[in-house]
Amino acid sequence: MVLVVNETFDDSSHEDAGHPERPDRLVAARTAIDDLHLDEDLVVVPAHSATREELVRVHIGSYLDELSAYCYSGGGDIDQDTYATLNSFTIAKYAAGSGLAVIDELQRRNDGVGFVAARPPGHHALADRAMGFCLLNNVAVAAAALRSQGERVLIVDWDVHHGNGTQQIFWDVPEVLYVSTHQWPLFPGSGSVNEVGGRHATDRTVNIPLPPGATGDVVRRGIDEMAAPVIDAFDPTWVLVSAGFDAHREDPMADLRLTSGDFALMARGVSDYAPQPGRLVMFLEGGYDLGALRSSIHASLSAALGQTYDGESPSNGGPGTEQIERMRQARRSTIELLHASDDEEST
Amino acid sequence: MMKPFQSIAVGYDGSHDAKVAARWAMEAAKDFGAVVTVVHATGLREHLHQQYEPDVTPPELIALARECAFEESGLHWLIANGDACSVLLRMASPPINADMLVVGSRGEGKREGLLLGSTSLEVAEHASVPVVVVPSSYVEN
Repeated sequence: MVLVVNETFDDSSHEDAGHPERPDRLVAARTAIDDLHLDEDLVVVPAHSATREELVRVHIGSYLDELSAYCYSGGGDIDQDTYATLNSFTIAKYAAGSGLAVIDELQRRNDGVGFVAARPPGHHALADRAMGFCLLNNVAVAAAALRSQGERVLIVDWDVHHGNGTQQIFWDVPEVLYVSTHQWPLFPGSGSVNEVGGRHATDRTVNIPLPPGATGDVVRRGIDEMAAPVIDAFDPTWVLVSAGFDAHREDPMADLRLTSGDFALMARGVSDYAPQPGRLVMFLEGGYDLGALRSSIHASLSAALGQTYDGESPSNGGPGTEQIERMRQARRSTIELLHASDDEEST
Repeated sequence: MMKPFQSIAVGYDGSHDAKVAARWAMEAAKDFGAVVTVVHATGLREHLHQQYEPDVTPPELIALARECAFEESGLHWLIANGDACSVLLRMASPPINADMLVVGSRGEGKREGLLLGSTSLEVAEHASVPVVVVPSSYVEN
């Protein structure tokens, strides 16, 4: 099994002094990959800048024009969290193109696991708006490309924040299944269990909101009980992971209590949903404690590659288990109500 | 005849422009007999340094209400997760059901003609209810 990663475009000028989404995060990611000692089993694909045609599958053209003009006129704060610099649009296009380059290589090999170590992250970026540190939605650009090839794409988003941008972009798209585990309530405020997808894609969004303090066993149980049956029925041909690592207990941006051992187990779990080798790609999203980020990426890739991970043990015993069955029932009720409403309208 | 506004939501981040907008909202609410929800959007980074307490209305807002002779019982303080634009837009939905959104102009430092980086323009573009953008220099006569 090989690991296919993108060549990192120089991202050093997308930086705002003191901001947690910073270039050192990619240094930590690269170190985690080095820690795997893969030698010839590590394949690095050339950087690719996403074209306008590739971006407009998920972003509206006028937003791309605005973002481009904003950056090239010097950038600045877009909102209270999100910044852009002179070079941010160029760097963001490379981040969005990285997944496409990795997917091309996996398709050529029909083997391996992909890992996109690029920034800025993407899962909060909406079709027409930047937010939450994100300018372009990297995982969505990749999923949309695969969809255009006739693939059925599962996106598992285990970042501690709900991926509102990805959910919005594929809200009514039946060929993409979006599954998110996240702390709730927390930024961006979306991701309730009742958000299940649009009229043409009811059941294609699975949200698993978790209380502060939740541990890895609760996250896995949520996935097993709420998402697994939907994933099995969907039968994906590709699996993309919005792999944020800010649910780690050391991360300062949230309050979940996961360890790197939990990420190893989750990575092993999502690998099982890929129908064949070469159909799994992880995209770096959040993760702001550099040590936790490094160990969690190492753990995830080890597990996805079938290696043993002997770092931090998985966590357990946190709150949230008792609400999973209630959430499952609430989700089912919402879907039944929506179907009944559709039936009424059609009669 | 236009139905009077009953619920006004105003975005608030503690800045000068936000205070000007909050004052305008309270003055307007007096005329309409409306309640005012002052909402603060908690962004990603605010998890690191919480700016406001959920149950404690900032004293400067209470002072503003008194200056405007606006009944404090009609002033509601709310903290909501999200970016400023999304949070203010959400105020037009239950349970707040705001029928008017108010936002400061935040003109300084933004690129003229660009929506990006301007909460007021973004809100105005996407809102389902009337939006009032209060200029930074506005003073109630």
